[in-house]
Amino acid sequence: MWHLGPLAFAAPWLLLALPALPVLWWLLRVSPPAPRTQAFPAIRLLRDLPPTEETPHRTPWWLLLLRLVAAALVIIGLARPVWQPQAGGGGSGPLLLVVDNGWAAAPDWPARVASASAALDAAAREGRRVALLATAPPETGEPIAATGLVPAEEARARLAALRPRAWAPDRVAAQAALTTFRAAHPGPFATFYVADGVEHAPEGSAFSPFAGALADAGPLTVARAEARPARMLPPPRAEADRLVVRALQTPVAVPSEANVLARTSDGRAIASATLAFPAGATEAEASLDLPIEIRNQVVRLDLEPEAGAAGTVLLDERFRRRPVGLAAAIETSADAPLTGDLYYLERALAPYAEVRRGTPEALLGRRLAVMILADREVPEGREREALTRWVEQGGMLIRFAGPRLAERPDPLLPVGLRAGERQLGGALSWDRPQTLAPFPDGSPFAGLVPPAEVTIERQVLAEPSPRLTERSWARLADGTPLVTAVSRGQGRIVLFHVTANAEWSNLPLSGLFVDMLRRLVALSAGVQGAESEAPLAPLEMLDGFGRLGPATPAAAPIPANKVEETVASPRHPPGWYGTPGQAEDAAWRRALNLTAHLPAPRASAPPPASARIESVGGVPGERDLGPWLLALALLLLAADLVISLVQRGLIGPRWARAAALVLALGLTAPAMAQEPDGAAANATRLAYVVTGDNQVDEVSRLGLLGLSDFVNRRTAAGLAEPAAVVPGRDDLSFYPLLYWPVLADAPQPDAAMVAALNTFMRNGGIILLDTRDEGTGEGMNPGARAALRRVTRDLAVPPLAPVAEDHVLKRAFYLLQDLPGRFSGGQVWVARDQDRANDSVSPVIIGGHDWAAAWAIDSRGQNPYATIPGGARQRVLAYRFGVNLVMYALTGNYKGDQVHVPAILERLGN
Amino acid sequence: MTTVPVPWAEALGASLPPLVVQAERVAATVMQGVHGRRRPGQGDAFWQFRPYLPGDAAARVDWRQSAKSDRLFVRETEWEAAQTVALWCQGGPGMDWRSGKELPTKRVRAELLLLALSALLLRGGERVRLFGLPRAFAGRGALQTIAQSLPAAAEVADDGRIPRHARAVLIGDFLAPLEETKRVVAQLAARAVRGHLLQVLDPAEETLPFTGRVRFEALGVTEHALVPRVEGVRALYEERLARHREGLAALASASGWSFATHRTDQPPEAALLALHRRLAPG
Repeated sequence: MWHLGPLAFAAPWLLLALPALPVLWWLLRVSPPAPRTQAFPAIRLLRDLPPTEETPHRTPWWLLLLRLVAAALVIIGLARPVWQPQAGGGGSGPLLLVVDNGWAAAPDWPARVASASAALDAAAREGRRVALLATAPPETGEPIAATGLVPAEEARARLAALRPRAWAPDRVAAQAALTTFRAAHPGPFATFYVADGVEHAPEGSAFSPFAGALADAGPLTVARAEARPARMLPPPRAEADRLVVRALQTPVAVPSEANVLARTSDGRAIASATLAFPAGATEAEASLDLPIEIRNQVVRLDLEPEAGAAGTVLLDERFRRRPVGLAAAIETSADAPLTGDLYYLERALAPYAEVRRGTPEALLGRRLAVMILADREVPEGREREALTRWVEQGGMLIRFAGPRLAERPDPLLPVGLRAGERQLGGALSWDRPQTLAPFPDGSPFAGLVPPAEVTIERQVLAEPSPRLTERSWARLADGTPLVTAVSRGQGRIVLFHVTANAEWSNLPLSGLFVDMLRRLVALSAGVQGAESEAPLAPLEMLDGFGRLGPATPAAAPIPANKVEETVASPRHPPGWYGTPGQAEDAAWRRALNLTAHLPAPRASAPPPASARIESVGGVPGERDLGPWLLALALLLLAADLVISLVQRGLIGPRWARAAALVLALGLTAPAMAQEPDGAAANATRLAYVVTGDNQVDEVSRLGLLGLSDFVNRRTAAGLAEPAAVVPGRDDLSFYPLLYWPVLADAPQPDAAMVAALNTFMRNGGIILLDTRDEGTGEGMNPGARAALRRVTRDLAVPPLAPVAEDHVLKRAFYLLQDLPGRFSGGQVWVARDQDRANDSVSPVIIGGHDWAAAWAIDSRGQNPYATIPGGARQRVLAYRFGVNLVMYALTGNYKGDQVHVPAILERLGN
Repeated sequence: MTTVPVPWAEALGASLPPLVVQAERVAATVMQGVHGRRRPGQGDAFWQFRPYLPGDAAARVDWRQSAKSDRLFVRETEWEAAQTVALWCQGGPGMDWRSGKELPTKRVRAELLLLALSALLLRGGERVRLFGLPRAFAGRGALQTIAQSLPAAAEVADDGRIPRHARAVLIGDFLAPLEETKRVVAQLAARAVRGHLLQVLDPAEETLPFTGRVRFEALGVTEHALVPRVEGVRALYEERLARHREGLAALASASGWSFATHRTDQPPEAALLALHRRLAPG
């Protein structure tokens, strides 16, 4: 390696050839270009010309310069120049390449690999052997270990196979692996450490000891991404009508922004929220305002532009499905129309929640988000215990008052109740029925507008208490609470001070009731409790980039009730867990999110002072200039060739221009896309399939030309010149009819061709397949039958039948008995009439009469191909069949309907 | 068709009918009408009867006419001053050359001019002969025969059978040394043959349009000249060519001949018209 500023040469001794360039100069100068030879009769006049000018037969100086530059480029290019070569690891001995491949490395993984790869380049140049140590536990579940010492080229392959993991690196284990490595390779070594800059240990620092151990062993180079914060997206918080998303990051000096995209199971992003991080902030919050129905479709949140497992949150049913259990005091009368306790509740909830019915104990046997008890007391005993436990685990209990509750209040109420109920506007009361006051700001109902016609006639009254105000979510106009709530454990108890039917108030009749229930259900924390220990098998796993893939081999099942507290690791990678048989039922899978248990990201401590710091990404890496210089030299030599040829007169200036053009085109535009032109759509025209046999294609063209001419003269149809098409390459949608002569050696059409032809037929196009061997032409095209089977194998050809006597093809324009072409007497096949697709118009017509040859006209307007057995009559009939065919292709069964005209007229007459 | 020993005779023969047609076409544009003398004299065509005068030879009495009356009549024929014009077209590989595909070779142009001139002369009643061929051609139908006889014509314009006082037209590039041309012209002039030299040249031979380092090779003989820089010698070449032409013109006028030049990129009609004017009597 020989350095020259930012330039270095890997084979500098080759540069010794540069001083030889003046020799080349001299050689080029003394040998004039070869003369051009010109025959000339008047040579006598040229004899014995006096010497005129001396220099002209020398090579011009600029050409000389061009050649010298080309030669110099070749020499320099072969000396393997490297621009800004990566500095080697320093020191001596092998190179240890340490790569942090945890979740924080995923966003700029290519830059990290490029950085590591540059270090490998340097090691390869210095002939060092390389060991690779990845600090994240491998997905196989094995412990972290360094690879053995291998040549740099082999290490490159291993580096390419390295992937960021969807869990945190374990630097403590990596340090242990380092110790093992040092024990195996006691000599000195240099280290190149591609660090992710995040301290992954919950507290303290695992980075500093590890980096210190590396620095102790030899020269250490640390490559870090300086400007990028490491971001993560913890699971969101579900609120009444929105998801509150919060993102954490390591602090950076400049303000930044990130987006959170809410995606459905099919990958559509249906909402996004922007998180703004002020300068130096570690946290930003935003909300995704989504109606509950839409929210239920969201299965994952992605942090953008942070691709990676830490920016991905999978939302399982805890965030989405809200099973609501309904229980009434007397089940038998609960469903009575208009008066039943649950009649209105069920109708209000059914559109957006999963409503379950049963006794509280039976309902709690499954996971439940909300339990609604309509005027049902909770007696002392197992039922009350189960309910209490469920609420404390996060369940939401909604209760409606009623005569029974008014009689016997129980502890599962947000407020103490006075015995009995209050009646407003009754016969013995002066009070008017009360309307609702506007909802207070802190209430989940805030924003809803109570309609004036909602009046409350009776209610249960709360015992006055200091906390009554803060527990009231809705009040009557006179201030008495209508809805009260209290948090109990992680859950809530909500009480409506009226009945769930229209007996005490007309609230259940109003739309407000639906809105209130919806808010409450949305507010619930999701399904709670009652999860078994049944193991959930890994279904789909997130990789380090946040992409879902199949479960890794080391992934182990998790007990259902342990999913919450499981920390993502190789044994339990983040992703979907569930019962494999019920994988399709999204309700039965649980998400394990990497970020649920990750500590907030902290920037790692600075590396040891002795370490050299490099930056990942952003700086131009080293660049091997050799191939470029050689290519440039080649180009100059090519130009020199052209110039020499021009000078010697071997090619004229026109050719020189063309050559220069070709040269320029070859450099700039290796492939020019064909402009799609819509000319084919400007007129109706017939088309034929190009077979590749020029003679057959010419017959097809002439045939369709003749037919088009005949049709134009005899009918109102106006056909333009026929087109040659290759199905699969050309757009077939412009052509009503495709003529396809089947050659004996026709290959089986490829997939694109089959797809194009099937689409063509499905959209109403007609293909006329001509084997050219039917009837009198039998044996003219041997092997065509087999070829026909071959080419139509993959086509969607409907069941076929011979053309019936009354088929439209025989009476679309002319009345025909048979359908001759150049040959006559064979059978012609069309789709069976039962097929109602495309209005019974047959998408294929198969025959072997060589129609194109019968229709063909040459440039003199004559028919070049004789009909067999012959006669002008057969020619005329062939043309008539052609007209019928075109009419059939253009109008379908329209002419077939004409046969009903007499019947219709008769009916009209009657 | 006459069999000819020259290897390209067949190719030339194949091209002859178009050449003849073209010659006819070119001639037609120059045609000024048959130039009968409109006076009695030597000739075949009847002109008039006139009364016998004493001194007329008895053989000249037209007895059939005389028998119709009492007087004797002498039959006079129109005087036809049929001349013999000997034509020569230079051969040799140097004539089979052209500088570009769009131009005819010098030989094609020379033969075209020869044939067109023949057509004109034949229509005018003149007799046309080719150097090296024993007999003269006459009559309008002879053009085809002349065309076919062209390959058999002499290489050198030296034929003792040319009658005295005949006219001669020599067409060629005359790039040979002046002495050779001078000898030919002098020999013909010695026999009182008056004539005309038409030099047919390719435009490249006049302007020397080549550039750079060129090795010029002669045609037919192995001779070459290496010119290091053609641009530099162009003026010199043109001067030499002009001197050569001056020499040709001088030797022609010394023998009472005329000299003209023609370039293959010019239409043949102009040269033909000039030739024809020069040959026209009076």
